[in-house]
Amino acid sequence: MLKHHKWKLFFVGMGANLALIASLAVSDLKVLAEINWLDVLSEGGAAALALVWLGLILHSRPAGRVTQYLSLGLSGIFLAGFQDLLDEFIRFPETARWDHWIESGCMPIGLVLLTLGIYHWHKEQLSINEQLRKRERLFREHRSLDFTTNLSGADYLRKQLLQALPEHRNAEQSLALLFIDVDNFREINRRYGHQQGDHLLQSLSELILLNIRRSDVLCRYAGDRFALILSNTGRAGAENIAGEISAAVQHFAYKPQNQDESLFHSVSIGIALTSTDTTTRDSAEALIERANLALLHAKEKHHATLQRAA
Amino acid sequence: MNSMNNTADECNAEASSCYQPTPYFEIDTPFIPAHEWPLMLIDMALSRGVEEHKLLRNTGIFREDISRRNLQLSPQQCFQLIHNIQKQHHHQELGFLLGHSLFSSLETTATKALNKATNLQAAIDILIDQQSQLMPLLQFRTCYEQEHLVIYWQDACGAETTLIFLVEMISTALSSLTRWHCDENIPWQFYVTHSKPAYIEQYEVHLHNKVQFSSHANAMSIARDYLYIPWKNNCAATPTGALPVTHPHLQSMSFHRGFLSELYNYLHHNIHHNPSLDKTAAAFGMSSASFKRKLKKHHSHFQEQYDLVRKDLALYWLHQAGWSKDQVAQALHFYDVANLRRAFKKWTGGLSGSR
Repeated sequence: MLKHHKWKLFFVGMGANLALIASLAVSDLKVLAEINWLDVLSEGGAAALALVWLGLILHSRPAGRVTQYLSLGLSGIFLAGFQDLLDEFIRFPETARWDHWIESGCMPIGLVLLTLGIYHWHKEQLSINEQLRKRERLFREHRSLDFTTNLSGADYLRKQLLQALPEHRNAEQSLALLFIDVDNFREINRRYGHQQGDHLLQSLSELILLNIRRSDVLCRYAGDRFALILSNTGRAGAENIAGEISAAVQHFAYKPQNQDESLFHSVSIGIALTSTDTTTRDSAEALIERANLALLHAKEKHHATLQRAA
Repeated sequence: MNSMNNTADECNAEASSCYQPTPYFEIDTPFIPAHEWPLMLIDMALSRGVEEHKLLRNTGIFREDISRRNLQLSPQQCFQLIHNIQKQHHHQELGFLLGHSLFSSLETTATKALNKATNLQAAIDILIDQQSQLMPLLQFRTCYEQEHLVIYWQDACGAETTLIFLVEMISTALSSLTRWHCDENIPWQFYVTHSKPAYIEQYEVHLHNKVQFSSHANAMSIARDYLYIPWKNNCAATPTGALPVTHPHLQSMSFHRGFLSELYNYLHHNIHHNPSLDKTAAAFGMSSASFKRKLKKHHSHFQEQYDLVRKDLALYWLHQAGWSKDQVAQALHFYDVANLRRAFKKWTGGLSGSR
């Protein structure tokens, strides 16, 4: 990321250098006894931290308007801090006022730009949240993201349920948990290698995301098993969505790399619902266990149908 | 809980005979072909975002060297590789994933034979016969217990914390193989010595949730009825991208099992001679000090191995052979039943509990 921003870093460096050279040209160094080391530490620390923030921002963000504001703002704050630090070591003559101007001018301008940047960042984040909506709700945990599908994992599912269950209980609404398992997934791995299997999982996750509502959350449970949380949904609604997902997967013609043939898949889906009765308390584990069991039954049914067909 | 294979029965029959150690490999013996499962594991980890320098740190493996096809790794290098993977964030699925591919995606003489097996019994015979090619880091032992066949997995040469990964991998590998060739719903029951992990979902999905945690041994069992169900021949479906491999070096391999497995075998067969550290060291052809050093190199010590053998024998005699506690105490050289009970409690946490 940093290489996209090398000009910004170059100008910040130049600015600091110019300030240093100009200061040395017009004035004398203080003797050691005159230096207040506590001030040096706090002012130097502030400048150094501004530089660290600048580095982190530039390292993690693509170029664009928001990045421009944030980096200009932080650069201004850094330069003001740097000049402040310099006059701890250098005695400026009374006649030279420009050092004050750098110090007092850069700081407010930097702060205004930074505020503007953060405001736009906030707007940007809201629109990203909208995109992430079906992958996460209520809270974010980047460490549980799965590398293959970019969905959250089983840990996230459990935490999500822990938060969502009491809310649904209080509102006397039922929540549905769907476990979606790809039939004969191992066959793809065996035939085409695990990279193709991973790619299929990723495609399927996108496909399922397209078929769910804005309020639903999709996680990757483990292996070829997905977990889908449907809030405020009863049995009929859950079965409806399960049917839609099954149909979408069945019509999805997956093309493995370097192959002309299309592969068609089916999924088995297990549904578990919380009870709306406020006296019984469903735990996250119990709900997951019920969904797993329902999935097992669905799989057996699928297996039996296949055998009958054969 | 233990392992009575044919040779063991013979040895018990003639109590006077004495089992002599056979050649074994050590933790630093390089003999595992790097382009087989280690390469597969490396590729899987890399494709899941593990950085190469973190993956290969301290292993002494260079990715470019593996393509030379004749690079051989020591168990120590494999353990380090697995250890590096275990340090990564949510890569618990890798052991299971490797398990699914272990016998189906690699084309070696041993896996070919395994996939051509006519039934489960034949496959298990191949597994035992060729274990140093299939998965040398674990020692397989089979045992009939009532109506079940139980396959035990034991540490062959000092796996330490990577044993969990290896057990997850091999359990998945064998269950995946049987699901493919025999029956999608084959009812394996799994036993593992570690406690229930946080990533329980992997066990649910890959091992179908039939796992008993905190058991006395790492094992899997199946009803005997499944041993002779004929297997479908799925050989036509072998992967296109598999490596065509020949193994001139494997034929020349002079050993069958790792140092710890060989020691286990020796103690197991010679339990009636009350083997001591000195006697055992002599049988292995070295001084007690060298023997202790070798044990230390394999992250173990004599008492640990001796207790392991005695625990397994005690469980087998009590629960399968129907011996009395007096008989067991005597056979294991305990002064009396109270001493046996105390030792047993230390090994397993209680005498009454079966597996």
